[in-house]
Amino acid sequence: MAETLEVDVLIVGGGPAGLSAALRLAQLQKASGGEPLSIAVLEKARDAGAHSLSGAVLDPSALRELIPDCEAKGVPFAVPVHRDHVYFLSQQSKFPFPIIPPPLQNHGHFIVSLNELVKWMAAQVEKEGIDLFTGFSGRDVLFDGSRVIGVRTGDRGVAKDGSKKSGFEPGVEILAKVTIFCDGVRGNLTKELVPRLDLAKNREPEQYAVGLKELWEVPEGRIEPGTVMHTLGYPLLQDQFGGGFIYAMPHRRVALGFVIGLDYHDPLFDPHMAFNRFKQHPFITSLLKDGSLIRYGAKALPEGGWNTIPQTYMDGGLIAGDAGGFLNSMRLKGIHLAMRTGMLAADAAFESIREGDTSAASLKRYQDKIDAGPVRAELYPVRNVHQAFGYGLLAGLMFSGLTLAMRGRWFENLHGKPGHKRMKMLAWYYGLDVPASRTSNATTIDRKLTFDKVTNVHYSGTSHVEDQPSHLLVQTEVCSSICGPEYGHPCVRFCPANVYEIIREAGHPPRLQINASNCVHCKTCDIMDPYQVITWVPPEGGDGPQYNGM
Amino acid sequence: MILVVAEQRDGKLNRATLETVAAAQALAGGDPIKAVVLGQSAGAVAQELADTVSEVLLVEHATLAVYTPDAFASAVQQVVASAKPTYVLFPHTYQTRDFAPVAALRMGGALITDATGINGTGAGATFSRPMFQGKLSAEVRHQGDGPRCVTIQIGAFRADAVKRASAGPVTPVAVDIDASAIRQAPEAPFKEAKQAVDLGQAERIVAIGRGIKSQENIAIAERLAKVMGAEIAASRPICDSGWLPMDRQIGSSGQTVAPKLYVALGISGAIQHLVGMKGARTIVAINKDADAPIFEVADYGIVGDLFEVVPALVTELEKS
Repeated sequence: MAETLEVDVLIVGGGPAGLSAALRLAQLQKASGGEPLSIAVLEKARDAGAHSLSGAVLDPSALRELIPDCEAKGVPFAVPVHRDHVYFLSQQSKFPFPIIPPPLQNHGHFIVSLNELVKWMAAQVEKEGIDLFTGFSGRDVLFDGSRVIGVRTGDRGVAKDGSKKSGFEPGVEILAKVTIFCDGVRGNLTKELVPRLDLAKNREPEQYAVGLKELWEVPEGRIEPGTVMHTLGYPLLQDQFGGGFIYAMPHRRVALGFVIGLDYHDPLFDPHMAFNRFKQHPFITSLLKDGSLIRYGAKALPEGGWNTIPQTYMDGGLIAGDAGGFLNSMRLKGIHLAMRTGMLAADAAFESIREGDTSAASLKRYQDKIDAGPVRAELYPVRNVHQAFGYGLLAGLMFSGLTLAMRGRWFENLHGKPGHKRMKMLAWYYGLDVPASRTSNATTIDRKLTFDKVTNVHYSGTSHVEDQPSHLLVQTEVCSSICGPEYGHPCVRFCPANVYEIIREAGHPPRLQINASNCVHCKTCDIMDPYQVITWVPPEGGDGPQYNGM
Repeated sequence: MILVVAEQRDGKLNRATLETVAAAQALAGGDPIKAVVLGQSAGAVAQELADTVSEVLLVEHATLAVYTPDAFASAVQQVVASAKPTYVLFPHTYQTRDFAPVAALRMGGALITDATGINGTGAGATFSRPMFQGKLSAEVRHQGDGPRCVTIQIGAFRADAVKRASAGPVTPVAVDIDASAIRQAPEAPFKEAKQAVDLGQAERIVAIGRGIKSQENIAIAERLAKVMGAEIAASRPICDSGWLPMDRQIGSSGQTVAPKLYVALGISGAIQHLVGMKGARTIVAINKDADAPIFEVADYGIVGDLFEVVPALVTELEKS
């Protein structure tokens, strides 16, 4: 039998949402007195923030509400934004937008390293005496009928063949009156909850993108710290959603990345190659010249917006942050919404526990708080924007402008379809001329400016205990039978970390090799696989990337 | 009364037993403490414990000569049934972990495992035990009427702190164990003669990568290793496929080596591999792909088919 631990509130995921929820609970407790609540936070990374990856430009509104004296407490804002640029890139040139679209104006915002921000938040949480269990992943949701009663953590010390190694330690059942799921984009627990409790009823399908990011050190004086640049266009085609970002930080550091909608049509397209091509654009190359790569990372992001957010409350449970899809894709920002929804979830959990009723009917107050406040006010007007880009870049831009002008008063909701269903089969996309290269946007790799995936993975710092079962559950019969002819094994391309490889040996059908220890926990495979036969589950607690400074 | 279940093998007392006696003394608060020794001829062990407890119960039976969980659980169950202790303490050894749960279950008692601390004495005592790999310490106590079973973590109490008095009596106790009801047939104990590969000590290493193509081809590399007097090692894909054991893996998720000579066969030289071997004094790389990054760190490089180059090398080395 598994060991059990009982708490009042269990928060799964120690990112911006989960830590905000924990801090808010501590504040409420201090303010109201009474029997203190017991709170536990689970985080799969070995150290707080190690799996947190974002651009990032932070809208500090939620943080200032949560910790009004955050600056006095040493919040690691890297630098205030003081210059915004938006460029449209052609293959060789750049064209600045004459005006910066209002959603991309970052006056009053800060460039931050999310990793450092989360580390700092975790320290604030621990100062409040809340137990932060880093290195423990939530493996399964525990139910009593349709009621969420807690989470089981993952076993440790299981060998590749499933046998128990000498250090075996079974998972622990953590039982809670309220469990707040902050397990991030495509969280493995939220993924289990939504269909089981039918939380996505009457909602639009979620839409995702994947962001690839590198941290560089460039020669002194190359870009002024506090400069924020966004790009559209090259190297993407009309029907591909996405763009680049360059954020100049102090100490000669530059964060740059590329975000690509996981709804592209071309099965031979490789997002990582698109990132390489982005860096090969003369403008970007000029910024990075003679610099060096420090870190690499990748993470999916939920871009579907308001109409794709599932029901966020249930008996004994709440969903906050990226796990719920709280991200404003028009402003390219989600950290503040993660924090805000974490705080509101804490408010709701606290009130319901004090009233002695943590049923869905009582916890619905969380949704009411979302609807009544700034979260809905920000997300509802732009609810159709991502879906509009489904009609192409131009349509998306025009619609975005229209949305701004009309403040979201649009008479109907646009519909989208899940991104993986938009990928076309080889024969559809290419007819008879399937390129032999098997990557439609391949480019040269010099390992100075552009990198192969394996080298990039090294810079993510990711590590996994090798002798453990694969944490990517794949129905591999699909790979050797239909996936090759139909889609040409897109997993080897959409994975930005070289986890998937197709081994071709004479006399054998192509065989999928899963290099699970390369995984950077971005969740792209779980999202984008056209047959939906890949399931990401947490590996042994503590494994994964080390996003220091990202 | 508190009963300590001693552990011995071949007439030698496991020192963790004394730590458990120390725990019992902390818990007793004046209650008498007894120890039970299980075995076939364990009289000497019983005598060794006699001055630490008020009485040693010596259970000798042919079925207890070699450890089996069925026989030991049954013996403990019978001793507890007649002696009626309030607490039964075990040292938290591998053997205890094997049979204490089933013994506790059969006796109808709750079992607290891995106790590192005792708070209070007698029936109301609580026990500390680590959770979450020691990040938390839980305070637990027994419920129910059965004997309260506890296993005491090794090192939590000090064996040299055991209070000794004049030797108490050693009382033989008869148990009834049906040999045919024992479901386990133990093999003779053995120590795994594991030949740990310490590649860090090797002066020469021949390492293979994916270019070796199949497990059968490893013999080619092994021949080269043999004539060179080198250890064989590999990059991750080879060990991941199970072609070589994981302790022969070089790189960020394997070993880091710095031999005098490192011969890389069919290794492309991903950075994850390079970080494990770039400290080698001389690096020789053989690879078909002239652009392979291994050539960036190699002192000598051969662009060619390892299946042609290696046999030629072996032939030359054998001549000299």
